[in-house]
Amino acid sequence: MRDAFLHPAEGGHRLYIHHAPAVGSVVRGVVVYVHPWAEEMNKSRRMASLAARQLAEEGYAVLQVDLLGCGDSSADHGDASWEAWVRDVRDAADWLTARYPEAPLWLWGLRAGTLLCQAAAAQMASLPNLLFWQPAQQGKALLQQFLRLKAAAQLADGGGKAAMDEVRQALRTGQVVDVAGYRVSPSLASGLEVATLAPLAVTAAATRPTPRLVWFEINPQVELELSPAALSAAPKWTAAGWRVDLQPVCGPTFWQTTEIEDAPQLLTATLARMASVNEAALA
Amino acid sequence: MNLLTEVNKVLDNVLSLGGRGMQFNPDTPLLGAIPELDSMAVVTLITTLEERFGLMVDDDEISGDIFATVGSLVAFVDGKLSG
Repeated sequence: MRDAFLHPAEGGHRLYIHHAPAVGSVVRGVVVYVHPWAEEMNKSRRMASLAARQLAEEGYAVLQVDLLGCGDSSADHGDASWEAWVRDVRDAADWLTARYPEAPLWLWGLRAGTLLCQAAAAQMASLPNLLFWQPAQQGKALLQQFLRLKAAAQLADGGGKAAMDEVRQALRTGQVVDVAGYRVSPSLASGLEVATLAPLAVTAAATRPTPRLVWFEINPQVELELSPAALSAAPKWTAAGWRVDLQPVCGPTFWQTTEIEDAPQLLTATLARMASVNEAALA
Repeated sequence: MNLLTEVNKVLDNVLSLGGRGMQFNPDTPLLGAIPELDSMAVVTLITTLEERFGLMVDDDEISGDIFATVGSLVAFVDGKLSG
């Protein structure tokens, strides 16, 4: 069952879409979905919704939240800050865990959403499990990619670099900038710029059982290869105490393709992995 | 590695061309000829090429000349790889 409603929060409300677990099933876990940034959020809405529904059928309670200034939540995008978004993720997790107090918590992110999951998890007393779809290792790269829209819009007249410099300078002097129809505040840009997907240290007292990191990379090529970034990051999470499952799957890069596309292999792999996590937990 | 094929793969995926991109030749015009190539797609292409070929594009290199044809895009990547 799916239920969409406005949840009161600082500065107004956030849109919550709650996918309740299938009737009669054991609640195997609760999952907060954290969307990516800007246009990538719109492009990936369909895939997120498909996966959320399937996870609910599998016995997970899933909550999709529109962050402050995004989608159907309160405020303009220009009012959003990185801290406010991290708080939104924590609030969503609190809402879910209050409703299903016995179930293990998962934070599920895509692209910029994975950075927010990491930042929210870092603030929690007990580490949640993490489900990453195509994680962004560095917020800085995402910010640069976003600011390039300014340059790309002026491709014809060749003034791209100057336009980007202007935007960066405006952010430095504390002004809200407008890029591709998104107003961006200096606090959002600076928060994103320093965000990294650094592994969180697991301490025995804080988390039991061992927290899990389920990580998928999506590759449009048939010959599946993990990126060098993932291959170097995964062992660091393991060393920090996480149980890591890193897997490449074949599919379109749906968060950025021109058309809205499905990645069925990602859905299948995610469901299979989350189901096997359950079996281990129930055994 | 056939650079034309590799670049065509990236174009086909990013622009959702459903295999049509695999038939592109160096003379195939891009900017202004392919409606899917808007500014969002241009940025995605640059980023994808960076990730796929492990190269760095400076912001001041982002110009319309690179995206004139498939051949100019391939030449740009080739220059980056050998430069």
